[in-house]
Formats: sequence, structure tokens, C-alpha cells
Amino acid sequence: MAVEIRVPRLGWSMEEGTFLGWLKQEGEAVKSGDVLYELEGEKATQEIESLDVGVLRIPANAPVPGSVVAVGALLGYLVSDGEAIPDTSPTRERGEADTNPTRERGRALHETTNPESRASNPESVTLNPERGGAPALADASGYMDRVIASPRARRVATELGVDWTRLKGSGRNGRVRERDVRAATATDGTRSTFSPRRRVIADRMLASQRQTASVTLTTRADATQLVRLREQFKASKTPTIVPSYADIIAKLAVTVLRQYPHMASRWDGDRLIEPTMTDDLAIGIAVDTDGGLLVPVIPQVSRLSVRQVAERSRELIEKARAGKLSTAEMQGGVFTITNLGAYGIDAFTPIINVPETAILGLGAIRREPVVIERDQIVIRDLITLSLTFDHRVTDGAPAARFLQTIRAAIEDAAVWLLN
Amino acid sequence: MTNNTNSQTKLALYRRMQIIRLTEEELARCHQRGLVLGACHTYVGEEAIAPSVCAHLGPDDPVFSTHRGHGHALAKGAHPRELMAELFGRETGLSRGRGGSMHLFSPEIGMMGTSGIVGPCILQACGGGYSSKLMQTGRVAVAFFGDGASNNGAFHEGLNMAAIWKLPVLFICENNQFATEIPFAYASGNPSVGNRGSAYGIPGFELDGNDALTIHRVAGEAVARARAGDGPTLIECKTYRTRAHAEGMGDFGYRTREDVDAWKLRCPIARLRQQLIADGSATEVELDAIDAEVKSLVEESRRFAEGSAWPSANDATRHVYCEQPSPPRSPIRNVIPAPSSETREITYTQATHEALSEEMAKNPRIFVMGEGIGVRGGNFKTTAGLFDIYGPVRLCDTPICERGFVGLACGAAMTGTRPVIDFMFADFVMDSVGEIVNQIAKMQYMSSGRLKMPVLLRGCIGIGHSAATHHSGSYYAMYGQVPGLRVVVPSNPFDAKGLLKRALNCDDPVLFLEHRELLTVKGTVPTEEYEIEFGKASVVRTGRDVTVVALARMVQQTLSVCEELERDGISVEVVDPRTVLPLDVETILKSVAKTGRLLIVDEPPASCGFAGEIAAQVAAHGFNDLDAPIYRLNGAFAPTPYSPPLEGAVVPSPQAIAKTIRELMEE
Repeated sequence: MAVEIRVPRLGWSMEEGTFLGWLKQEGEAVKSGDVLYELEGEKATQEIESLDVGVLRIPANAPVPGSVVAVGALLGYLVSDGEAIPDTSPTRERGEADTNPTRERGRALHETTNPESRASNPESVTLNPERGGAPALADASGYMDRVIASPRARRVATELGVDWTRLKGSGRNGRVRERDVRAATATDGTRSTFSPRRRVIADRMLASQRQTASVTLTTRADATQLVRLREQFKASKTPTIVPSYADIIAKLAVTVLRQYPHMASRWDGDRLIEPTMTDDLAIGIAVDTDGGLLVPVIPQVSRLSVRQVAERSRELIEKARAGKLSTAEMQGGVFTITNLGAYGIDAFTPIINVPETAILGLGAIRREPVVIERDQIVIRDLITLSLTFDHRVTDGAPAARFLQTIRAAIEDAAVWLLN
Repeated sequence: MTNNTNSQTKLALYRRMQIIRLTEEELARCHQRGLVLGACHTYVGEEAIAPSVCAHLGPDDPVFSTHRGHGHALAKGAHPRELMAELFGRETGLSRGRGGSMHLFSPEIGMMGTSGIVGPCILQACGGGYSSKLMQTGRVAVAFFGDGASNNGAFHEGLNMAAIWKLPVLFICENNQFATEIPFAYASGNPSVGNRGSAYGIPGFELDGNDALTIHRVAGEAVARARAGDGPTLIECKTYRTRAHAEGMGDFGYRTREDVDAWKLRCPIARLRQQLIADGSATEVELDAIDAEVKSLVEESRRFAEGSAWPSANDATRHVYCEQPSPPRSPIRNVIPAPSSETREITYTQATHEALSEEMAKNPRIFVMGEGIGVRGGNFKTTAGLFDIYGPVRLCDTPICERGFVGLACGAAMTGTRPVIDFMFADFVMDSVGEIVNQIAKMQYMSSGRLKMPVLLRGCIGIGHSAATHHSGSYYAMYGQVPGLRVVVPSNPFDAKGLLKRALNCDDPVLFLEHRELLTVKGTVPTEEYEIEFGKASVVRTGRDVTVVALARMVQQTLSVCEELERDGISVEVVDPRTVLPLDVETILKSVAKTGRLLIVDEPPASCGFAGEIAAQVAAHGFNDLDAPIYRLNGAFAPTPYSPPLEGAVVPSPQAIAKTIRELMEE
């Protein structure tokens, strides 16, 4: 019995990915656990392992490397020796709904713009078959419930590297036209590379802005201890990795989150899930890569030493920059840290990494004069903290208390780390 | 004529008849063997007629024949091996494999073709006669046709035209008493064909069609009369085909075996043989020798035909048009000039009139035929003043018989002259569509390129001024379906003049359709002579946003709304293909590549039309350039009504064009 190889869903929002190519040859024997092919999902490329045993058979009309494939699309088969490929179209989606409200709506709209009376009315256009026949076409192929684009728009989209399937069309019935494609590119008309990954980032950012009631609080913290701590690591005679500020603050944040578990809540559909005391808290670290923003997740931060956190984060950052992060390595976070300090930014308004509740932005650490007791002026290392939280989950005062505690933890880092 | 010459002529006649008989019998055998691929209509029993007539003809005297034409071809001098090879579908056949039994061509010897359609040969022979009269060559044209054709309109129109113009034509009716299987006695109120001559004011004869010597004498007198300028003769030869209508068909559903056997006893060859022996022209031995020689000639011919090569499939679309067209007589100039000291503003009619009169002055083979184009100068002043210069033969007023004079034009073009048929209205030509589609368009192809067909068919098209439905049709899409035609539809004086001059130097048949509502439109025309190539579209207005393809009046209607649309930010490019056949798809594609949008504005109804053709071409070859569906704006699917509110409602108006362009921009 042939086993179908279909495109898996690699993330919560993945609808399609890019099939990068087979890692097994047509006709090659495949064992369970062998890597079969590479798939680029939402944010990363993944080598997909086979769960089954058999001989790989790739139908002639299977997706070619580089093509965008829908989740569930058939890529090939694992068959037993001598077995033929079943007679099924490989690109056909399974279980495509036959009735669909969008389609019905689209059809009604179509009919109103195309009244029968046109044929006998000389003042009107004698319509071409494509337009006149569209409603029937809609039934046959699901024409109306997907994005439609003119042939020219598709051609120009290919030339400019634009993904027209994500555009909103300005033509009749939402048809994407050339102008929509050009409008989607840079205004100066230069080439745009709106990659699938960029598209995922765009979708998620937009989803976050739309779904959350985000509020950003900023405060400044004395990071002198933090700076000193790092210098100690640097100066250490024991060969060791030097943790970044984000690594140290991740470790501190986990401790603080234990006190404010609602700040580590995650949305799961309509439910909000708050971690229990025994749950491991995973912290996401935002990483800037050539392909765009990625957020690898460091699991079990509370069980790791600062050095281990640093090692783990460095490893994940390297994978992220090499495009080798697995989807699993980007899942399960309860809180995210994003650092723009290296670019001289102080305060900003980070966007919550849904389905999380809050994100902490780190600004630049600057040496500044500070007035302390008895009007004394001293030089201190100051950092600006920007906390964005979801006001649906918690209110301003508790969030402010959380941020205040973070600040305290940073200012007294050594004690907090050792506790 | 001495006795000696007379004997030689009789022996030659005998030999020719025997060639026909033995060739036909061999073809019947070959049909049974499957060597003859299509129909095979034999001449067995009728052999006395064609050789007796053709004995008086030279190779330049044209013969036009019918579906039962093997005997005519052989009588005119075709070699049996070429006839057999044609029926076997071979490259060496009379028509190089394009014709078969019913389309035999050998113009080199004056065999101008057999035809699968009954009647046209009568009209074509009139055309052959007209060429002779115009060029004063002294040639005599002959039409062979059956009794069936004598009850066809072509007979009436052809004999009348030949009579009024005293054309040098012999009309030879081979009355074998059955039109396929319909008895002549049933189909004709007048049991004689020969006596119909008097109805047309021409000599008519009713002869025993199996009596070679009598036919030979009467035909000789008729040919002499024709050469002397005394006009046509009708000769009915009563005969009988003693084989079935076509090989393989049953023969006794409509006639009896006894009748056939009785007619076999009246064999024309046996009869001539007896006469030759009786009058001492030949001995049995001499005639036997001829029989034996012919027998071996036919056998050799069959072997030749059987051994001949098949034509190459690669050549299947060759000879649709002339492969070696005559060069233009004036410089080619395809682009409408800007007004300058070297141009003038003249009307569309003035432009075509200039073209015609300039070319008539250069080419004595051009003659014009039509109703009222002589002294009257044409209903639309198309020939004004030319009658005074060129006289009644080159400016020939016709009876109202469109089929007749279009069929005549076909024969005239086949025999070396250049007829210009002035229809007045394109609707009128519907009576002659068979002559255009079946004959004129296909002649070059059927003859494998050995005939040229320089026929210009011009007339008015288009809706306007309450002309109503018999004076308003366009029909170019219909002609656009016919391989072999050129279809020209000019929209302005410059195009009209240049394209008409091209048409008058083109060796292919041209339909030149002039929109009546444009005849008084003025435009810039160079003072110098020029021609415009066919198949070169004109970009009459450049634009950015939408391409409109239109012909004739629809070009002007579209141009009238372009400024208004431009003010609203819609930049329209207007492409006028100028010719429907050949169609310049490339220029249209280039324009659509720029604009991404296409509207075709077309006056006649949409179904199976010109706009649909362009839409299909662009969808196929410019798909990736399209930013919107292709639109067509056509006239309503109705005949043209009279009353202005009704008339206005069936034709695309400028308002409708503007509205459609706006809708297209919203797609």
C-alpha cells in the first residue's frame, strides 16, 4: 500500500511553504527516520524525516524544487517494491470544500455585474466568454475564493519578485492588476524581494497589532552591576563564553516571571493559559538575520546557568543566521526579549510576539551622570527598558510592577542571579 | 479543306475519342482497384462531343468544364498519364494532386479547369470571351456543361451576357438526359436546350451528340463566327452516358438496363469508325492500328501514374496565394503622412477614384464591371468620367446579375485580364458568393499556382442613413474565413487610395469594402503615387492605457471619444488593421504588450466574427500581457432596421465605445 508524502504544517500559521528539493532519489529505498526532503516553512528551512518505510516514487507532475506548495499538497509516495504509483493528481488539495460562503458571495456579485440584458442591449458590451462564463468557472475550480490576478499582473509579479497571492486587487471582483503589483514594490520602482519569510513576519506583526491591546511602558534602570558582571566574564582566566546582556536579562526575567506568571500567559485559541510553577519557562530572543527577524526560543531557562543560557542562545543565533532553525526551535516561548541597544536606540515600542503576553525591549547602555543621595553626582551605566504588554491580559499597574521588578533585578543582578 | 486533310482530321478525331474511351475504362478498373481515391465521373458514351469541338481550338482558346470533365481535358490535349496521376492523387497529376476528378487544371493548354459545382463554367467562359474581346486576341472560349446546368441561373445570366456583349463563346450543352439521376424530361419545361438560343438572341442548335462529324461541322462554324466577332453560339448535343453517374454508384434505380444497352449500341466511336471506312477515310487495319496504339498509350499512362510520387504534405498550404506576386507599381508607403506641401485634403471617394484612374491609365488589362458604372459614373461616383476616356468595354455596365458578372470576372482573371467588379453595395454580392468562395478564391490553389486571380471586388458596407438591411451589411468576417482571398477594409482616404492601388496590382483576389458613411470623409493624401502593403496595421493614435482595435467607421467613432477619455486620464491607443486578410496580429500584440487592455470595436454582430478572431489571437499569443479580460463591442445580433431609433440601437455609438473603455479600465 503506497504511503503518501504530503506537505506538513510546520507552524501554527503555516498555509504554504517552499519545497526546496528531495534529499532522496526517485526509486531509492527509504527507512523510517531518513531525511526525505527540505521544506522552507514560515520562518525556517526544515529537513523532513520519513515516518514510513518504502521506495520513493515521485510523480511526473509533482512540485519541482523551488515551487510554493500548500500544506497537505502531495509530493510523492513511498511504495513497496514493484508497486505502481496510485493514479492521483499530486497537486490536488484533499478535502477541498465544495460549498464556501465566500464563493457564494463572489458568485452573487458576479451576477449583478453581468446582467443577462447586456446581450440584447446595443449600448452595452457584448461580453467575451471569459467574463460571461466566470460564474460557472467559479463552481468548477474555486475561482472566486482565491486571489485572482490578471496574466499581466502575474508576469510583472514574477519579474519584480512580488508575491501577488498576498496582494489586494483593485480590479473587478478584487482581481490583482499590474498596478497593484507595482504599487506593492518600492515606490522608486526598484526591485523588491518580498520573500515568503518576510511575508510571514508581515502577517505575524500585523496579527499582533490587530489581535492585542498593546501598551508600552518605558523606564530606566541602573545597569552598572550588569556591565561589571560582563566585564568579569571577559576578564576571567577560565575560558568561558561571555553572556550577552540579553542572556543575563533572560535569566533575570525568568525569575521575575515566576512572581508575575500572568505576564507569561499564552493564548491558545480563546483560552489564556498561565504557566504553573512547575512549568519550564522558555524565553525568546529576537535575532536580526539577512532574511528578517527570527525569534529562537531558549527552553528551560530557569534550569540553566547564565553560561549555559549564553551557549544555547549563541548556538540558536548562529542557526538562525544560517537559516537552519527548526520550527520546534522557535516554538513554546512565553516571553520575548528584543535588543536594539547595539544600534544606539533607547526607548521603542516592541510588538508582542503572539500568542505571548509581553515583550521586553532593551535599549543602549550609556554612561551618564546620576544624582544619588545627598545631591551627589556619580557616573552610572543606564539602560532604557521598553515593556509592551497586552492590556487584555493584564492592566497597567501590574505591568508597571512587573517592569519595576525587572528593573530591580537588573540593578541588583548578582543577588538575583545567585538566588 | 482537301479530302486528305479531312481524312487526317477524322482520324485524329477517332484517335482522340478512343483515347477518352480507353482511358475512362482503365480509370473504372483503377477505381475498382482503389487507385482512384475520390469521385470518378466518366465520359463513356459522350466521346463524340469534346474532341469534335476542341478540334477547332488552339492551346490559347480556353475551355471551362464541369464535373464530368475527363473527356474535355483529354480532348483539349491533356496527356492520359497526367489525368490518371491526378485521379491517383499524385504529384505528376494535372492539378499536382490538389484537384482530383472534378478539379482538373492544365492552363498551359487552355484547359482552365473542371468544377465540382454545376454552372460556373458557363460564366467563366463568358469571362474568357470577355478577355478575348478586351485584349482583341481572337480567342474563343468554350463552356462544356450538362443538361443539369441548363436549368441553373448561371445558364441564363451567362447566355444573356454573352449575347449583349457578343462574346466569342461556345456553350456546349452535353445533354445526357440525367442531372445525376434526375431526368431532364422531368426537370425542364422546355424539352430542348438548343432552341433556347433564340430566347437570348443567339444561334442555337440541337444535335445528335453521338454524331461526331455533325458536331465537328457545327462547332467549326460556331468557332468561325465567334472569331469573326459575331458572338456566341449555343449547341445542344443529345447523348447518353453509358456508365453510372459516378463509378461505384448503382445505375438502375432511375433508368433501365434496356435503355443503357440500347444506347451502347449507338456508340459514337463505332459509328465514326463505320463512317470512316464507308467514306474511304480509313481502313479497318489503319483503325485497328490506332486502337492498339491507344491501348498501349493508356497502359503506359496507368503505369506512369501508379509509379508517380505522392505530393509532400509540407506543400498542403502552398498556392493559397500567388507565390510570385507582381511588384508594386508605386513606392510602398504605409504610414499616414502629416499634412505638408506634398499632400492634399481629399475625400475617400476622390482617393479611390484617383487610384482607379491612375492604374487604368497604366494597365490596359483593367476593366470595370457593375451596374451604372458606365455613363452614369457609378452610384457613388466611383468611376465618374472614366467612361468617356476608356469606353464601354473597359467601363462595362451590366444587367442586374451579380452572380453572372462575378462569375465572368473569374473567367476573365483566369485568362489574363484584371476585372474590377463594382458591386455598389456588398449586400448585392450575396447572390455571387458561390462564385467568390468556390471559384475565385480557390482557383490559384486548385491549379497549384498556375493560374493567377487578379480580381478586385469592391463595394460599400456599413450601417447608416436608414439604408436598412439590404444596403447595410459588412460581411468581412465571412470573407475572412476563406483561404485565397484578401479582405481590405480602409478607414480613411490615405488608406483607401494606397490599398486600392495595391489591390489593382495584386495577383490575388481582393474584397475591397468601403464604408458608405466614410465616403465623404476628408483626409490627407500625398500628391505622389504610392501603395500600401496588405497585412500592415496602422496605429492611428498612440496611447498608454488601453488598445482599441477597430476597422472602417469604427476607427473614426473611436477616435471621436479619445480626447474626452484623455481628459479623464484614460490614454487610448487605436489600431486599425486595415486588412482582415491578411491580419497583422503582430502590431496588435505589440500594442497590447504596452497597454495590457484590449477592446475590439466591430460594427457587425459578434458571433464567429472579426473581434473574436483578434481576441483569440491575443489570448493565445499575448496572454501574459493582459491585465484585464478582452472586451468586444459589436453591433447587435439583428438585421439592420430602417427607423433611426432602431438603426442607432444596433450599431456601436461613440457613447457606447467610451462607456465600454471606462468599464474595461475598471476590470
